[in-house]
Amino acid sequence: MTIKLIGFPYSGPTMRVIITLRELGLPYEFETPANFEVLKTEDFLANKNPFGKIPVLFDGDFRIIESRSICRYLASKYQGKNNNTILIPNDVHKAGLVDQFVSFEIFYYDPPAFKFVSQEVFAEKFWNKNPDPEIIKQGREELIKVLDIYEKLLEGKEYLNGEFSLADIYHSPYTHYVYGVAKHSELWDSRPNVKNWWNRLRNREAVKKTLEEIP
Amino acid sequence: MTIKLIGYLYSGPTMRIIITLRELGLPYEFETPANFEVLKSEDFLTNKNPFGKIPVLFDGEFRIVESRSICRYLASKYQGKNNNMILIPNDIHKAGLVDQFVSYEIFYYDPPVLKLVSQEVYAKKFWDKNPDPEIVKQGREELIKVLDIYEKLLEGKEYLNGEFSLADIYHSPNTHHVYAKYSDL
Repeated sequence: MTIKLIGFPYSGPTMRVIITLRELGLPYEFETPANFEVLKTEDFLANKNPFGKIPVLFDGDFRIIESRSICRYLASKYQGKNNNTILIPNDVHKAGLVDQFVSFEIFYYDPPAFKFVSQEVFAEKFWNKNPDPEIIKQGREELIKVLDIYEKLLEGKEYLNGEFSLADIYHSPYTHYVYGVAKHSELWDSRPNVKNWWNRLRNREAVKKTLEEIP
Repeated sequence: MTIKLIGYLYSGPTMRIIITLRELGLPYEFETPANFEVLKSEDFLTNKNPFGKIPVLFDGEFRIVESRSICRYLASKYQGKNNNMILIPNDIHKAGLVDQFVSYEIFYYDPPVLKLVSQEVYAKKFWDKNPDPEIVKQGREELIKVLDIYEKLLEGKEYLNGEFSLADIYHSPNTHHVYAKYSDL
């Protein structure tokens, strides 16, 4: 049964899946579409993703899309099989809180982080546009409020819900882009709990390797 | 062990949970904050939700926020206990596809629907503003593309992933808000 992942190595969503595969010790094949136009072809829309996006994962004949759904599926099916890494706690209350942190990531953390990423990393590289300072300013203000809350939530904890989980993986790609690529490290480093959390996270083997592979 | 839900009856996220509680046959207490300012008070931020939002659910002493996380928790813990309603399939592949539809709801369906809800339902009622026709137009155009995709995905199926699931519940509140005016879509 082969796992095949289709995506781009610099894409945040693709990176979530790659980190998860590596954390679970799962072998996989990786395929990169030739260009963006491929994603809008009849074949791609019919057989890979009706919304014309990556990543797409095949586990044998089973196809699944949407990065966080893919990661949750992989953890549900494979965690504990190849190694001892548990990404979704077995305890229903702990699992609920991990899911709560996933929701925080989707609705509170990612949107402002992505404002930085879109303007300072992607705008020139892919869209031939200059960064929009207004968007960056909004991103910074919103992210600061969120990181202040995370500083409290991380008190006394190594990872968001205590033990390492899917929620920590999901935060990694865009944090890296804003911290390491766009170089706004002070936002994390000025908050001791947040700083320690990110340091711990980005030095995990699976995370580190994936981030280093960004072209 | 009492389940207590704090929220507003007209709020989409609160409605997702109420529907889930009812589908699972779970009794619960419902509490509405006196006003919006309560949500920003020290007490609320510390003891209920650090992000100052509703809904908030207490299951005994266990507290959880974020509507879809609350619903998933309730289904994981209670489904099959009070009745036969299964909201998260036991089969891993089916569960994965339900989760995929939940992701569609979050990223493709809800944003354009919310554009319509915010302008046509909330603007006058809460913000004393007229609907912005530009936002309404964008919302409509995006939603039409999504509904065209859903039309194909629903072919031969009663519900999004065949059998009724959490994904169908999540789509309900905001669809209802918009359907009254935009049923043609």
